[in-house]
Amino acid sequence: MRKRKHRNQGDVELNLAAMLDMAFQLLTFFILTFKPAPVEGQVMLRMPPPQPVTNVNAGQNAGTNESNTDPAKGLNTLVITAISNPAGGLRQIAVGETTMGSVPALDRKLTEVFKSGAGFDQVIVQVDSRLHYDDLMQIIDVCTRQKLPSGEKLSKLSFVELPAGAG
Amino acid sequence: MSSSMSHGSSAEPNLTPILDMVFQLITFFMLVINFKTASMDLDLKLPVIGSAQPVETQGEDLLVLNINSQGQLRVYGQLIPDMGAYIANESAASLIVARSNGAQIKAGDELPSTVVIRADKSTPFTMLNRVITKCQEHGFRKFALKAMNKEAEAL
Repeated sequence: MRKRKHRNQGDVELNLAAMLDMAFQLLTFFILTFKPAPVEGQVMLRMPPPQPVTNVNAGQNAGTNESNTDPAKGLNTLVITAISNPAGGLRQIAVGETTMGSVPALDRKLTEVFKSGAGFDQVIVQVDSRLHYDDLMQIIDVCTRQKLPSGEKLSKLSFVELPAGAG
Repeated sequence: MSSSMSHGSSAEPNLTPILDMVFQLITFFMLVINFKTASMDLDLKLPVIGSAQPVETQGEDLLVLNINSQGQLRVYGQLIPDMGAYIANESAASLIVARSNGAQIKAGDELPSTVVIRADKSTPFTMLNRVITKCQEHGFRKFALKAMNKEAEAL
């Protein structure tokens, strides 16, 4: 039998064992319910509403003709089209009139286009309304990795929705 | 029954430091457990692209929109029935925040806030475009499209 410590009358001993037990219960609860937030990445984009495409790949740069008071005229536009299959997967991609069937082919084509020094006032991505976000992000990923003639990365895109089955 | 043959002092562990450490741990888990995940709808499966990188957005005015595969908008776990009205309200709030930071912005100007879009990988573009178009109508131009840069490990 454990010897009790001699206590003076009036001393109060606090038994911490019960409190510690309760604290461990709480700690176990929080450890079991703790779910760390996944680390998410992001793609930063500037997305203005699309401007009317009135002059595709014309030689004139917007703003060089002082007599042109209509800002829509002379907009050099690169049009990328993404067509979906009925299940929402990517079926076909087109850069201007050139079609291709895969995202790596799109990457090669865009690299070739931007390396040629062509400047564009806007890049429009026409997307089939059924296309899933997953496949759209693959296309956006390729676009944002391209370098413009100025050396900056392409970060300004506009989206246009195509009706299902278009193209 | 244990009996001590010696008459030396018995050792009783001092529980105070261990209790203090346990309370520290509890406090840590209580503070960490809710904050970051409150604005994220963790049911969404984000697309995976290798170039998506985490970006520190401390201090920026962000509008986080979670869009599920049915095109429903969720904010802080709540389903938003009227997306247009919600975005309009957020646009007005962003304008107030921008003006309070000294920016000379009129109604209808481009807002400096960033719209963070977290959409499920199977969300059709038409539903996503509805949200984007509504945001553009209310002056938002900066968007951050969330993605994972590798497949999330199954828990």
